[in-house]
This record gives sequence, C-alpha cells and structure tokens, in this order.
Amino acid sequence: MRSRDGNHSFSRRLCAIILFSSLALNASEFLVSYRYMVKDAILYNESLFVSKSMRKCHGTPHDGLILESDGGNNLKKIISNNSDEFISYVHKLGLDLNHKETNVNYQNSSTTILTLKTTCFKVDFNDNFARISPLK
Amino acid sequence: MKHSLILAVLLGVSTFAADQVAQATPTLAQIPAQPSSIKVVCPNGNCSQTSEVQKVEVVNPIELAQRSKVQDDDTLEENANLRIGVVGQGVAPMNTDSPAQAYALAKRAAVADAYRLIAEKVKGVRIEGDDLIKNMMVKRSTVRTTVSAMIRNANVVETTFKDGLCEVEMEITLSHADFAR
Repeated sequence: MRSRDGNHSFSRRLCAIILFSSLALNASEFLVSYRYMVKDAILYNESLFVSKSMRKCHGTPHDGLILESDGGNNLKKIISNNSDEFISYVHKLGLDLNHKETNVNYQNSSTTILTLKTTCFKVDFNDNFARISPLK
Repeated sequence: MKHSLILAVLLGVSTFAADQVAQATPTLAQIPAQPSSIKVVCPNGNCSQTSEVQKVEVVNPIELAQRSKVQDDDTLEENANLRIGVVGQGVAPMNTDSPAQAYALAKRAAVADAYRLIAEKVKGVRIEGDDLIKNMMVKRSTVRTTVSAMIRNANVVETTFKDGLCEVEMEITLSHADFAR
C-alpha cells in the first residue's frame, strides 16, 4: 500500500540502482592506443590516443603501472607527463612491429612502425598518482 | 689390327683394375664409428706400468662437421631457454631543442631498430626483388624487405649515445613454451 510520503522502498531501490550503475559506468576504464614511426633511423611520428570506454571491458587487471599525477582525471595529460615510464611499460606489454625497407639502385630507405593495439586499461585516479592496469 | 686388339685388352684390364681399387677404398660415410683400443707403450721401456690401454673414439669427419654445424645454430630446445641479443641504432634529428631531446628521440629510434632486428632473427624476413633490364643494361634494381611481428618482454640491457648516434643493446629470452601455445 502506498503511503502519503511516497514509496520509500521503491525510491531507496532506485537510488541504489543509480548509485551502483554510476559506479559501474566504466568511468575508470580507458581505451589506449599508441604508435610511433621511425623513418631512416630517425623518429618521424608519434601518436597516443586515449578515450573513455563506452562499454564495459572484460578481463582482469594485470601488471599495473603507477604514474605521478597532480590529482586530475585527464589520463592523456598524465601519460604525456610520464612518457618515459609509460613507453618502457608499453614495451613490456608487447608491441606490433611492422618494418619495410626498400633498396632502389643501392639507395636504402626504411620505415618501422611500432604499435600498441587498442587496449582497455583500468585506471584508478588518486590525489598524487594514477594506477593503470591493462585488462586481459 | 693386332695393335688395336692389344690396345683394347689393355684398356679392359685397366678399367677392371680401377673398379677393384674403387671397391676396396671405403668412402668416408662407410667408416665404422666404433670405439677402438690402442696400446701406449713407454718410449724408453723402463716405466713402472709397461703399458696402458686408452679408448679412442673413431669419428666420421662428415658426422663431426654436421654435429658442429647443428651446435653453431641458434636452436630452441625444449628444456632450455634461448637468449637473443641485438644492438639497435638510432640517429637524433637535426632540429632538436636540446641534447636531452636529441637523446630521447634517438633512443626511441634505436629501440625500434632493435625490435626489428629481434623480429628478423625470430620470425625471418620477407624479401622481394625486381630488376629492370633494358637494352641489355640494368635500369633499375629494387629490393624490398618486410618484417612483421609482435614482440613482448624484450629488455634493454645497455644504452650508449655518442655523436648523435644512439645504440641500444636489447635482449629477449625465448622458451619453448612461448611457441607451443
């Protein structure tokens, strides 16, 4: 039977659903891809793409990395500020390598592309650091 | 006529003798690889032990060459890891703001080169070549090589940077289980 003040149990359930769904809205899951190109032994191009995941990623977090941060939630900025750590970490995760070399009339030119394929990372933002862990 | 008959007989005898020699001489592959015993005697004859017996293994030289060839190759055994080490090189661009930036960029290029060398060793290289010949002359000679691989768990051992050239020594340890999946 409905009381005059409203259905408390229903509103409580609704609030709980909203709370849990907001926690589970994948706000801390990011899709990251990284790629750089080396042309004739000189670094030519580098690109990093970071996006919030719009669907829940599957898998369990593995081998996390702690990056220093100033408390913000901008993952791309945090990664850019800690690029050396991130790149050495990415090398451990594994990169796809694509190398092409052409020799025309004894003149050589080469292009090497290293790519981190789009990977879902679980990210925990804290006051002084952010912890990123790939989901596998 | 008489001379030709004598010549024919001589030729027949010589070919028969040559066949006999060829049958008597064993080839290297036919040498039995069995251990034999030899007797070593003191040269002046006044040793306390007058003689001792030593076992000597007679090895076919062809087999020995094949065995050493197999040992020289980098092969991945089932119960032993294989370490592959390479040195990649990278060059700093001309228009850098600081030596630190030049170092960072050259190192990135050197790491990519080291990865490529590892991939070449582990997976191999695909090679295509074209030669254009016109009026009996080579007009254009083209060689294209491609490498494609996925590499993980490679470690940087040492990095050196001198005169704008960065060298990165990198190693990877392969185990049989990595390929058995």
